Amino acid sequence: MTQEQQREQFAFSGQGGEYFRIWIVNLCLSIVTLGIYSAWAKVRRLQYFYRHTSVAGASLDYHGDPIAILKGRILAVILFGGYSVMLNISPVAGLSVFALIMLVMPWLLVRSFRFQLHNTSYRGLRFAFHGKTGDAYVNFLLLPLVSYMSLGLLWPLAHQQITRYVRGNTSYGNGGFAFDGKPGDFYKPYLIVLGLTILGAAVAALAGFMLAMGYSFMVVGMAGIVIFYVCLLLMAIPYLTSRLQNMIWNHTTLGPIGFSSTLRASKLFDILFVNIVLIILTLGLFKPFADIRMARYRVEKLTLLATADLDAFVAQQQAETSAAGEEMADFFDMDIAA
Amino acid sequence: MTVTGSYFNGVSARRHTVSLSFRDGLLWLHGEEIERSASPGELKLPGHLGNTPRLILFADGARCEIADHAGFEQLLATAGIAPSLVGHLESRWHYALGALAVTLALVAATYYWGLPYAADKVAWRVPAPVMAMMDKQFMATFDHRLLEPSKLSRERQQVITSRLHKLRLPAGASQPTQVLFRSSPAVGPNAFALPGGTVVVLDEMIALSSDDDEILAVLAHEIGHVAERHALRQMLQASVVGLAMAWYVGDISSVLAAAPATLLETRYSRDFERRADTFGGNTLELNGISASRLADILEKIERAHSGSSHTGDSDAMDYLSTHPNTAARIRALRGKR
Repeated sequence: MTQEQQREQFAFSGQGGEYFRIWIVNLCLSIVTLGIYSAWAKVRRLQYFYRHTSVAGASLDYHGDPIAILKGRILAVILFGGYSVMLNISPVAGLSVFALIMLVMPWLLVRSFRFQLHNTSYRGLRFAFHGKTGDAYVNFLLLPLVSYMSLGLLWPLAHQQITRYVRGNTSYGNGGFAFDGKPGDFYKPYLIVLGLTILGAAVAALAGFMLAMGYSFMVVGMAGIVIFYVCLLLMAIPYLTSRLQNMIWNHTTLGPIGFSSTLRASKLFDILFVNIVLIILTLGLFKPFADIRMARYRVEKLTLLATADLDAFVAQQQAETSAAGEEMADFFDMDIAA
Repeated sequence: MTVTGSYFNGVSARRHTVSLSFRDGLLWLHGEEIERSASPGELKLPGHLGNTPRLILFADGARCEIADHAGFEQLLATAGIAPSLVGHLESRWHYALGALAVTLALVAATYYWGLPYAADKVAWRVPAPVMAMMDKQFMATFDHRLLEPSKLSRERQQVITSRLHKLRLPAGASQPTQVLFRSSPAVGPNAFALPGGTVVVLDEMIALSSDDDEILAVLAHEIGHVAERHALRQMLQASVVGLAMAWYVGDISSVLAAAPATLLETRYSRDFERRADTFGGNTLELNGISASRLADILEKIERAHSGSSHTGDSDAMDYLSTHPNTAARIRALRGKR
């Protein structure tokens, strides 16, 4: 009955120097064409990262149509440009454009997810997104609004619902993804970060108080503790990112296939820190190398777990017969999701 | 010659290992259960993208992935298919360095000439009602946060305004749309021109002046800003620089993006100050007042601000931060005499 679990690690074969050349040529062409080429550049960038990401002997691919991306970008420029111009003229006009953007955002996000997933393939089969627009309004507008009004206390719950909506509505071939993370799984990392932030602030305040009272013999010790807590706070972002990515993947399944992500906050912190320092020192020229470093770590810590025979399962997957794909071609890609 | 690849039929995720060859004007795929041929014209053969697998895309959604770059290049060469231009540019370091040089040159040219030129053109196409609305908006914000009503008597305000209106201006220049009097201990001695052509004079500046000629000198400088729509152009240029920085550095940190953007914008405002000084000096001489009077009041303003800056209450509004070296400006104005 017990079956050997098959593990397939994701691999990333992109190289910083190679990507730098693609990045700079694309940047140059984008500037020369006043931004129009940026849509083609985005396709090449995604194709570079997707095709260098492989698992079980095959790589991902991206099929986005640059013209559709260009349309999405023009719409984004009109919406956000309109917002900033209006805000300069009158706050009322600015706020009404902002409200309009908020109202169409869930609809645009659904289009964006459909576009992105429909244009992602593995072994010649496309991914797909089936989320209903009505549910998108609940997940992308109502829940964030409610969590904003609860001063963020309900945000982990909203995050769980959004993740379940996005993952649960994603499919590969004729197999659907599922996500079974509970709200508690989201509350845990968020609450730990909140606790550390409060503790850090309290220690800093105490140190300031001691300093003001003239306890100079305490100062050195306290300064040490403050520095320790500042470092802990700097760890908050890598900590949250790694815990959330690990937890979300560990609760994601595709039929008999599971996933395991083993990012470590300290390693993520190292990568981020070096990236930021080198990007500043090189006035941004390190950016493509930084992107590769980050992608490699995030991709290579992901493993695919199959209880059934992976090849047999994959071979069963058939392209969906619906004509849905055809109508996707002219939907906007808004480039909202990371 | 043959090259090996992985074939996927687009209907099932099953992988088929195939060998590729080119024969009789057709590309052939041979493998277990697979026998397929197509003329290159029916296929999409994307150029190479770094070291990612090379692809053959069939019209029906089937695809073939080839890891052997050299072999595939050779196969394409026998089929008479040229490599793609962009892929070629991306693969060579000297093209990449060329692209880097072109990018840097274009960014510098845009910053030095393109953006100021475009902002000048756009500034003159902004309709008057929009400009008036912007000034109303600015004043509402300033009155709320920074400014207090002027303590100057109505008569005194009228004397200054009417002397200003009698000022002869260089050809093409027009009077400010309105002159407003305010007071602001926080800002200190100052006067400023808004994008829509409003000039605001602070009581502190009037108190600092030894006679009305000095007040007129400052107003002439501000009319220089209005006449050339400096505030509007500065706003347009600053928002483009801000957007570009946010886009370039933005995904690291928006705070990191703000600092260089601010630094880059000050160069524009320094240019505008110099031009307004020249305009102010010319206007004064046109009215029989020495340009050195502008230098006199600038000197006083500078002294007042450097004195107050030690108390640390000068805000982002600080007159000097966006202005060129005051000593150099004073020298330039005195040189006019």
